[in-house]
Amino acid sequence: MGKNHLGEFEEIVMLTVAILHGEAYGVAIIEEMETRLNRSVSIGSLQVVLKRLEEKGYLTSELGQATKVRGGKRKRFFTVTNLGKEMLQTSKEQRNSLWNAVPEFSLKAISL
Amino acid sequence: MNDKSNHTRPPWAFLAFLRWFCDPRLVEDIEGDLVERFEIRTLKKGHKTATRLFIKDVFQLFRPGIIRSFSGSQSLNQFGMLQNNIKVARRQLMRNKMYSSIKIGGFAIGIAVCLLIALFIRDELSYDRHIPDHENLYLSIKEYNNVPEYGDVRAAWFSAPFAQALREDFPEVVQTARTVNGENFGAGANSIREEGNPRNNYEEGWIFADPEIIDMFRMPMIYGDSKEALKNPLSIVLTQSVSEKLFPGENPVGKTVYASDLDERPFSIGGVVADPPKNSTLQFRVLVTLSGKEFWEGEQTFWGAQNYLVFTRIREDANLANLNSRLKEIGTKYILPLEKENGNPNAEEEVDNINFFLKPLTDIHLHAADIYIPLAKSDIEYVYIFGAIALFILGLACINFINLSTAKSANRAKEVGLRKTIGSYKSNLINQFLTESIIYSLISFALAVLLAGLILPYFNALAGKSIVLPWDTFWFIPILLVTSILIGVIAGVYPAFYLSSFRPAAVLKGTLSIGAKGSKLRNVLVVVQFTASIILIIGTFVVYQQMSFILNRQTGFDKDQVVMLEGTNQMGDQLESFKNELLNIPSVENVAIGDYLPVTGTLRNGNTWWNDGKTKEDPGFPGQNWRVDYSYIETLGMNIIEGRNFSKELRTDSAAMIINQAMARELGIADNPIGKRITNRSSNRFVYTVIGVVEDFNYDLMTEPVRPLAMRLGRSSSITSVKVNAENISATMAEIEELWMKMAPNQPFMYKFMDQQFAQMYASVQQVRDILTAFAILAVIIACLGLFGLSVFMVEQRNKEISVRLVLGAKSSQIVGMLSFNFMKPILLALLLAIPVAWYMMKEWLSDFEYQIDLGAGVFVFAGLAAIAIAMITISFQSVQAAFSNPVKGLRNE
Repeated sequence: MGKNHLGEFEEIVMLTVAILHGEAYGVAIIEEMETRLNRSVSIGSLQVVLKRLEEKGYLTSELGQATKVRGGKRKRFFTVTNLGKEMLQTSKEQRNSLWNAVPEFSLKAISL
Repeated sequence: MNDKSNHTRPPWAFLAFLRWFCDPRLVEDIEGDLVERFEIRTLKKGHKTATRLFIKDVFQLFRPGIIRSFSGSQSLNQFGMLQNNIKVARRQLMRNKMYSSIKIGGFAIGIAVCLLIALFIRDELSYDRHIPDHENLYLSIKEYNNVPEYGDVRAAWFSAPFAQALREDFPEVVQTARTVNGENFGAGANSIREEGNPRNNYEEGWIFADPEIIDMFRMPMIYGDSKEALKNPLSIVLTQSVSEKLFPGENPVGKTVYASDLDERPFSIGGVVADPPKNSTLQFRVLVTLSGKEFWEGEQTFWGAQNYLVFTRIREDANLANLNSRLKEIGTKYILPLEKENGNPNAEEEVDNINFFLKPLTDIHLHAADIYIPLAKSDIEYVYIFGAIALFILGLACINFINLSTAKSANRAKEVGLRKTIGSYKSNLINQFLTESIIYSLISFALAVLLAGLILPYFNALAGKSIVLPWDTFWFIPILLVTSILIGVIAGVYPAFYLSSFRPAAVLKGTLSIGAKGSKLRNVLVVVQFTASIILIIGTFVVYQQMSFILNRQTGFDKDQVVMLEGTNQMGDQLESFKNELLNIPSVENVAIGDYLPVTGTLRNGNTWWNDGKTKEDPGFPGQNWRVDYSYIETLGMNIIEGRNFSKELRTDSAAMIINQAMARELGIADNPIGKRITNRSSNRFVYTVIGVVEDFNYDLMTEPVRPLAMRLGRSSSITSVKVNAENISATMAEIEELWMKMAPNQPFMYKFMDQQFAQMYASVQQVRDILTAFAILAVIIACLGLFGLSVFMVEQRNKEISVRLVLGAKSSQIVGMLSFNFMKPILLALLLAIPVAWYMMKEWLSDFEYQIDLGAGVFVFAGLAAIAIAMITISFQSVQAAFSNPVKGLRNE
C-alpha cells in the first residue's frame, strides 16, 4: 500500500467523483470543486490526475451519449472503483489515527 | 441561436492546436469539456473573457500526460518496419560479403580522405582566430602603383617612424607594434647562453618587436608582466619551450643572457610567454625588444629604409574604409618632403603612386598571396583545390556504391516483386533501400574514422600540420553521424529508385532481364571514374618529371658537395685562420665566406641600379647587391663568361663589380660590359666598375627568371661555404668538426648541405607532388575496387555462358580475351576523354615555371598504358579464374 499513496489533489478529485455519483465528468467535477472548496482548477491539471487515477485503477470511465451542447462532443463519466473506495477508506483511517494522536493543546494553538 | 453561435464559438486555431498535440484517446472528452466551459463562461463573463480563459486552458493542457506520445500506434508500426529493414540489410551484407566489403571499403577510403581534408581546411581557416578580439587587429600594407614590369606591387615593409605616424595622426589607431625579422638585422637564428655558462645554445625564430606586441596579441604570460616584459632596452622574452630548454623548471625572469656571444650586450629576460600556437601567423621563439633599439644612427626617424612589419589595433567603432582612404596623407606629409630634399624630380608622382591600407590579421594567412609579407602563409586556392579533391574522391566512392547496387539488382528483383505483390508501396521499398545504404554508410564512417586516425601522422607530415581528430569538441560526433546519413542517402537514392521501380509482374514472370538494363549507366560511371583516375596518373607523372627536371637542371652554379657551415661569424677574428685551416684539409677544395648564397634562407639585399650618371633620367631597375669574398665564384663553381674574377693583387677591386648576364642586359651594356661604370642609389657617391660578367645562375625559385644581380668584395660572415671533393663525406665532416671544436669549443657545430637546401626551395612543389601522388593512388584504388566488383558480377552473370563455351571447346585465352574486351571499351573511352583534359591542366600548371619540360606524347602513352594495365590486372583476377574453372560446376545446377 505504501507506494500507492494518494496525493492531496488526487484524494479531493476522487471524493468529488464519489459525490457526483455517476454524473462526474470533467466540467462537473471542476464546478463541484470550485463551489465546495472555493478552489480554481484548470482542465489540464484535472485531466492529468484523472488519467493517472484511471491508470492506477482507482477510477473507471465510460463515454456517454453525444448531445447538442459542448460542440457535440461526448462526455466521459468517471466512477470510483472498489480499489479506489478502499484507497479512500485507508486514507481516511490513516488521517483519523493521526488526528487522534494529536494532543489537545497543539490544536488550540492552531485555532487561535 | 444560429446568429449567436458565431459569437460563442471558441477560437478555432487553439482548438486545432489542441487536436494536434492531444492524446487521441483523450481528445474528444477534453475538447467537450473545454467547449462546455467556454459556453458557460461566455454566458457568465462575456465572449472576450471566455476566449482568454479558453486559450489559457489549452496551454495548461499542453503538458506531459496529455500530449500524445511519440510512440503511438502508428509510429510503433514504423519502428517495426525499420527493424525489419535493418535485419534485411544485415542479411544482405552478410550474404554478399565481397560486394559489401568493396562498397564499404571504397566508401571508407573516400570518407577518410574527406575527413582529413575537412580537418585540414578547418585548420587553415582557424589562423589567428584564437587571439581575443582579433577583429580589431590589422597588418599595415603598402601598395606601389604602376611599377614598371610588375604593375601594382603590395608589400608589408615599412620604415621605423611609420608606426608612430599611424598612432599620432589617426585617432582610430589605438595601438601599434612593429616587428623586424630580417636576418641582416640579427633576427632569425642566433646563439644564446646564460651568464656564467660558456656553452651556447642555438635557437631559431628570433624577432625584434615593440613592447606592445605582447599586449596586442594577448599572449598568455607564463612568467613576468605583459606590459613590462619588453619595456626596458635590452630586454628579451622567451617562449615557454625555449625557457624550459635553457632553464628547466625555473622562473628565468631577471636573468642575464648573451646573444651571439656578444659580451658587451647583456640581455635581461623580461618574461616568458606561451609558445605561439601553430595556427598563428606571427611565429617566434625569442622576442628582442625594439625599445631603445637603433639599428644605425638616426634609423628610428629615417623614412627611407623599409624593414618593419607594423601590426595595428584599431578602435572597435572605427570605419576601416574611411581610415584606409586617409592613410595616403602619410605619404604627402612625411615621404614627399624627404624625396624633394633628395632632389628626386619625380617625387610628386612617385609619392602619389604609394597607397597604404590595413588588412585584417585573420586575412593574412589565406587572402594575402599577392602581398609580399615575410611571414609563412598559405593561399585560399589550396583550400579550394583540396576541397574539390575531397568531393572528387567521395564522388568516386559513391559511384562504386551505385554501380554495385544496381548491378546486384538481379538478386533483389524477385524480392522487390514479391514485396510489391504482397502490398508494399514503392515508398516502403525506397525506405528499405535507403536504410540499407545508410547502414553501409554508417559502417564506412566508423572504418573511415579509424583509417583517418591511422594515416593522420603521415598526412600531418605531408601537409606540415599538427592536426588531431577533435573528439573533445561537442560537434564532432554529431556532425559525423549527420554527414554519414546524408552521404548514405546521396549514394543510395538512385539505386533505391531504380530497384523499387521494378514491375512485379514482369519480374515474377521472369521476362525482365535485370542488371542488363542499368549497364549503360554503369558504363558511363566507369568511364567517369577512369577518366578521373587517368587525369590524376598523368598529372602525377608530369609533376614528377618537372620536379626532377628542376632539381637536376644546370643552375649556373655547382651545389653538389658544398657544405654550408653556419654561425661562423662567432669566430670573429679567428675566421680567416679558420678558413686557412679548412683549406689544409686535403679533401677540402675551396672555401668561401659569405651569407649571400643562391639557396633559400640566406641573405638578400635589393637595390636600385643605374648606369653611372643616369640616376636623374632613368627610373633605374631593381637588382641584388651581394657581398662576396675572393674565392666565392670558384667555390660555387660559377662561370665567368667575360672579364675576370676579383683579384687580391689589385687594390682597385674594392670598387669593382661582377654582374650577371641579366644585369648586363638590363643596363644595356651586354655587348661590351667590361669597364662600364654603374651605381646604386643608396650610395650614389660610390660608382663601381664592372670587371666581369658571370653566367646567370638561379638564386631564386626556378618559377622565376634570373633577375639582375651584382657582386662586390665585402664581408658577411655568418655562413662559410666549403667545397669538398671526397668519396667519404662523413670522414671529411668529422675532420671539419674537429677543427671547429678546436677553434670554437663553445659554439655548436651546425651545417647544411647546399644541395639539400636547394631542394628545400622546392618543398612546396614537392608537397604538391606528394599530395597529388597520394590522391592519384587513392583514386586508382577506388576505381579498381569498383571495376573489380563489376568484373565479379559480370563473371557471375555469364557463368553459364562461359561454361557452355568451355564445354564446346573454347580456349581459356579466348574466354579471358572476351571478358576483358567488354571492359576495355569504357576504359579506352576514358583515356580518350582524359588526355585532352590532362594536357590542358598540366599545360596550365607548367606555365608557372620559367623552365619547363615539354609535354610530349610519351607521358600520355605511358599513363594510358598504365591505366589499361591496372584495369587488365584488376579484371583478370576474375576472368582468368572463370576461364580455368571447371565448366561442370557452372552447369550442374540446372
